[in-house]
Amino acid sequence: MSEQAILQVDELKVGVIDGKKKTPIVNGVSFDLKEGETLGIVGESGCGKSMTSLSLMGLLPKGIDYLDGHIHLGELNLESFSKRNWRDIRGKKMSMIFQEPMSSLNPVYPIRKQVREMILSHEKVSQKEADARTLEMLKLVGIPRPDEVMDNYPHQLSGGMRQRVMIALALVNDPQILIADEPTTALDVTIQAQILELMQSLQKRLQMSIILITHDLGVVAEICDRVVVMYAGEIIEEATTKMLFDEPLHPYTKGLLSSLPSIHEEKEYLSSIPGTVPPPGSIVQGCRFKERCPFAHDRCSKDPEMFAHLNGSKVRCWLYGEEETS
Amino acid sequence: MFAYILRRLLHMIFVIFFISLLVFFSIRLTGDPAAVMFGAGEPTAEAIEALNERLGLNEPLYVQYGLFLKGMLMFDFGESFRSGASVATMIFERAGATLALALGGLVVAMLIAFPVGILSAVYRGKFIDFFGRIFSLIGISFPNFWLGIMLILIFSVTLGWLPASGYDGFSSLILPSVTLGLILSGILARLIRSSMLEVLNQQYISTARSKGIKEWKVVIKHAFRNALLPTVTFLGLQLGALLGGTVIIEQVFAWPGIGRLIVDAINQRDYPVIQGGVIFLAMIMVLVNLLVDISYSFIDPRIKAGKAGG
Repeated sequence: MSEQAILQVDELKVGVIDGKKKTPIVNGVSFDLKEGETLGIVGESGCGKSMTSLSLMGLLPKGIDYLDGHIHLGELNLESFSKRNWRDIRGKKMSMIFQEPMSSLNPVYPIRKQVREMILSHEKVSQKEADARTLEMLKLVGIPRPDEVMDNYPHQLSGGMRQRVMIALALVNDPQILIADEPTTALDVTIQAQILELMQSLQKRLQMSIILITHDLGVVAEICDRVVVMYAGEIIEEATTKMLFDEPLHPYTKGLLSSLPSIHEEKEYLSSIPGTVPPPGSIVQGCRFKERCPFAHDRCSKDPEMFAHLNGSKVRCWLYGEEETS
Repeated sequence: MFAYILRRLLHMIFVIFFISLLVFFSIRLTGDPAAVMFGAGEPTAEAIEALNERLGLNEPLYVQYGLFLKGMLMFDFGESFRSGASVATMIFERAGATLALALGGLVVAMLIAFPVGILSAVYRGKFIDFFGRIFSLIGISFPNFWLGIMLILIFSVTLGWLPASGYDGFSSLILPSVTLGLILSGILARLIRSSMLEVLNQQYISTARSKGIKEWKVVIKHAFRNALLPTVTFLGLQLGALLGGTVIIEQVFAWPGIGRLIVDAINQRDYPVIQGGVIFLAMIMVLVNLLVDISYSFIDPRIKAGKAGG
């Protein structure tokens, strides 16, 4: 892993405009992705993590009205891209796999055709060559009898197999970045572990960076190098995976971690964070977590910055506001 | 697949058998053909008796029905009471005209409805969608005979571009096909729009976009291909309905189709022609349905014709 950032996201804002009111869904998100690293984006549903990943691919759904901020992929300024530019990036430099392996492959085409389309839309090679590469890729993702699976339709494969095919599809053009949006959520626990392992080994082999979007801290602990925790459209903590688990800073992160079951202590009840995530646009000023925060005080009605902490993490909470100066 | 088709054909024989029962006995409840055939005059009882004897209507019903069934096996529906011509020949002479009109209507409907439906779905809520939906509504609401007459007035009477009626070459097919197709395209465009909207929300459409392929390929290759299935069901049913149900259009354009043949035969109590015509249409309908079901397995690989049940 080198320290070179291949993707830089700076003050990304995504949202809808209702009349004159801007309702942000992603509100000023900034992070770097380094070469060869796995970055986790963690948060509850509705915190903006999927919107963040979709804006990286230029795939924001209809109904999203604005995208501000900067996305740099190497020398490229993605936020100013035209449709054509985007097409060259997608599936070539960045690929994406989705949550639902059952529905993320087109039911009416055999696997061969779906992967071939991916190759041929970026490279001028013969069909035969494309098919050879598909076969090789299917082998690489650990699909048994790959030559048979080439001509199978998605409905003939299990969920785990389909997710393997999706990974093969995403990686066939050797992208720099793989964005995985909850890639294991819909799978059985044993299959989850296999898929995570596969992603890790492929990452080493193909030297790519991974952005893993998940709400599952177990998955984060398994494969991520660094984590950003999102809450209500903002990043509230950024840390190495080790630091996040050893010394969580933000009250929300602490809450998340203490709600995990542990094998070391027996808890009768798992603790939970009271309240719910505020809907987008409902908080205009101040810390977005203050309503649910046990440590909330007067300062929290002002927007907290990202404070750097001594342990190397960054946290958006006034509790750590003084440490810079002390 | 083969066993499935065989099973369906067996099925078809039962359907045709029941329809033959229904048509045979129901027309015999509608009145005496001999009385109608003599028209205004006051026929003697002997004359009616003689006519019934000649037409075979004096036999007991079960004998008549048996003869009808026996003939049907050989595709022989007897002779018309009125003209004495072979009913099978009459049907075949007109089947071509009916088929041409039905297919013409379908082609026109598809040519209009596919682009309208697809564009409506892709530009949902935009002007083009608004236009498409208005178009669909108009298509659905227009009475088809009125549209037919308007088209005749404009393109035949006023402009003189196309023949107003008859069955004579391609140019005479245009106006009735357009009339049928316009009406049908309203419903078809709506159907395509709604199934496209459903498909466009699917995850595999996002996958397709994430591959970096052109948007029109996403729409046509990935979305429309999947939206086709409900459309084919609908078109299959419509084709069946068009073959028998274009009587009004045939009347407006003086089109020599089977619909008109049957209506005329009913007015004249021409039993063999009615029976033959109805059985023929039923056969076509059942066959078209079979073809539609078989075509599913080509359009959607998840459906294996053999397992779909019959």
